[in-house]
Amino acid sequence: MSKPGIDGHWRGGIVVSRAIRDAGMELIFGGFQNIQQIVEAAIQEDVDVIGLSIHSGAHFAYTKQVIDLLKEKGVLDNIMILVGGVIPAKDFDKLRKIGVANVYGPGSMTSDIVDFIKANVKK
Amino acid sequence: MTIKYDIESLITRFKQKDKIALAKLITILENEPDKASEIFKHFEDIKNDSYIVGITGSPGVGKSTLTGAISQKLLDDGKKVGIISVDPTSPFSGGSFLGDRVRMTNITLHPNLFMRSLASRGYKGGISRAVFDISMLYEAFGMDLILIETVGVGQSEFDIYNLAYTIVVVLVPGYGDAIQMQKAGIIEIGDIYDVNKKDLGGEDIAVHIEMMLDDTTFQSGWRPPVSMTDAITGEGVDDLIQNIWDHKEHVEMSEYIYEAKKNRFRYKIKELVYSKIEELILKSFINEEEINNIIENALNNCKFKIYQSIHDKFEEVDFEIKKKKDRT
Repeated sequence: MSKPGIDGHWRGGIVVSRAIRDAGMELIFGGFQNIQQIVEAAIQEDVDVIGLSIHSGAHFAYTKQVIDLLKEKGVLDNIMILVGGVIPAKDFDKLRKIGVANVYGPGSMTSDIVDFIKANVKK
Repeated sequence: MTIKYDIESLITRFKQKDKIALAKLITILENEPDKASEIFKHFEDIKNDSYIVGITGSPGVGKSTLTGAISQKLLDDGKKVGIISVDPTSPFSGGSFLGDRVRMTNITLHPNLFMRSLASRGYKGGISRAVFDISMLYEAFGMDLILIETVGVGQSEFDIYNLAYTIVVVLVPGYGDAIQMQKAGIIEIGDIYDVNKKDLGGEDIAVHIEMMLDDTTFQSGWRPPVSMTDAITGEGVDDLIQNIWDHKEHVEMSEYIYEAKKNRFRYKIKELVYSKIEELILKSFINEEEINNIIENALNNCKFKIYQSIHDKFEEVDFEIKKKKDRT
């Protein structure tokens, strides 16, 4: 779970992280990280999912940069990307098109996020 | 679409210093410990010895931040550094919130650093079962130093003592009085003591430790030093690192390093054997249903019966070990 950029809205990322922990998964909390740090953390921790929590309005740019760098490093195929935060509904498809598995805007249920991860990550 | 990685190709990439391969091999060792022999047989030609430092202390004393600050200086010094940071697994959900990496964000892109967060996964003693295996992988990868950060520990979780050559015990202002310093357990195991968060005071803690150390006889000839740091600003970290180098020199000049290595292997061998035996015997000796029956009987009948029930259970069986060749 990571926050690209420096918008200071931590609550969403923390709440979702706790839900993931309570669902029996191991969650690495990255906090504020730049794109390179997010990708390096994903590689070294060998993660199945990257969660990006973005409230700055720059969700498209940041997400695309993460995906491009994952692709460049050759690890994109094994990692699922989820994006959450104040994302307008009209941007959901735009994000999905560049490879985001699902988007969670305001009012999303943490249980939906947990269920989606459990259903789509093969272990 | 998912790429499958086989061990052979990961080993080839690992030997080319590919961090992706190192990360994948760690995952395999964490999830399937039985694969260890299959992995490590490929490294028999590798001679690298890493120096292993354990960093331990209570939750929130600043172990992660300090580990990051120490690593930063070591990296500046041209060293290759491997970090293993352990955080606890929930006894309720089995999940874990691993919050160590967030304390060392500024060093994570350094080419000579590899950092892995681990959940303890029910393992007692302040570490996780995989810590030893990962330290072996780091050695094979060519790390100069390995820093193992334990979970935030209480008084009696000190398995790190068996895995590292230098133990840093991290304390904070307000830790306790002179009586706390006399207790057995965590406060005894330090080769180096550090009072972190020195911006909040803590001189009294440093004095209490010094007095405790003054009253102790050290067979090894090493009298642990006490440093004070502020891990966030980096103040005092140079002193702490100097203490680590001094202790390293001390153990390497004496025979102690060999003893420490023997201790490390003895710990792992016992862990491997015991966990296997536990698994094998438990499977054939007692199952959950029988345990429940004993509990029910105790609660509904007489609680003092649990001793008799367990005793009877052992009376039912004879233990005998047969070597495979004797079977024929």
